Amino acid sequence: MANLNDFKTRLKIAKEKLKSSYENADNKGNTSSMGSAFKLSTDLVAHVAVGTIIGFIFDSWFDTKPWLIIIFFFLGSISGILNVIKTAKQMQEKD
Amino acid sequence: MATNPMHQFQVHRIGPEINIAGIDLSFTNASLFMLLSAAAICGVLFLGTKQKKIIPDKFQLISEIFYNFIAKMISDTAGSKAKPYFPFIFSLFMFVLFCNMLGMLPYSFTVTSHIIVTLLMAMFIFIAVTVIGFAKHGFGYLKLFVPNGVPVVLMPLITVIEIISYLSRPVSLSVRLFANMMAGHTMLKVFGGFVISLGVLGGWLPLGFSVALTGLEILVAFLQAYVFAILTCIYLNDALNLHH
Repeated sequence: MANLNDFKTRLKIAKEKLKSSYENADNKGNTSSMGSAFKLSTDLVAHVAVGTIIGFIFDSWFDTKPWLIIIFFFLGSISGILNVIKTAKQMQEKD
Repeated sequence: MATNPMHQFQVHRIGPEINIAGIDLSFTNASLFMLLSAAAICGVLFLGTKQKKIIPDKFQLISEIFYNFIAKMISDTAGSKAKPYFPFIFSLFMFVLFCNMLGMLPYSFTVTSHIIVTLLMAMFIFIAVTVIGFAKHGFGYLKLFVPNGVPVVLMPLITVIEIISYLSRPVSLSVRLFANMMAGHTMLKVFGGFVISLGVLGGWLPLGFSVALTGLEILVAFLQAYVFAILTCIYLNDALNLHH
């Protein structure tokens, strides 16, 4: 029976470990550095592209060509840069 | 045509043409490889969970590694509230990983190198996360767009920027996976073409590059599946634990 008890305690310890890892989970992304590099590069492009597309759609809705596309292009760029700064700050906090 | 590096991405029909209500639903090589990867996942996990040994065999070991990897990723990034979404994130990760890895085999087709496939998955995640967010927090979920401690004057600007940032999630998620897979496979094909055209004398250098790139592509195939899954966790975390 010693063997079984041994297994039981080990299982208990493992379960507690898992539980505490769930409880201590912080809300920061734990991406590996190469993963974050991929994330940063595409995020910057995607934000600008989405901003421009929104501007284009609003322009054809409100018939204000070309003003909104210009404004939203810059808003998208700002959003992309802010996002990169935010991610970089999170990465620094983790270290 | 065989030397065209983009030839590998062509979708073509296998078997008869099926046309229902004007929509082409024929079985293609893309469908074949999706089915193959789903079957491979089921096969590995079935063999891994068939007999629960104290000392695991290869298949059980790899299934346990996958399980632990995803469970730890979810607990690290999204906390305990995200536990019910484990099956979804696990299947998502496994599907992307197996599609990428099957694409690394010669003469195979890479499903994830088509933007429509990755965009479908990304849009599903985006809509699901939005629905979960509204279901958990009601209209309080809109606080995501209004960060704390912003001066009132800047509020409209910041809100617009946050909305753009939220809407660009599916775009960046899908474009990242698609662009990495497509660029990598095109590069492999181009270097393969150099080996043929330079012949026995000059072909050794691009051959070496090809070997190195194949290793890199296997790393990228894994890493993209990992990034896809971890970003899903991060978005889920935003929807579940709202604090801004």
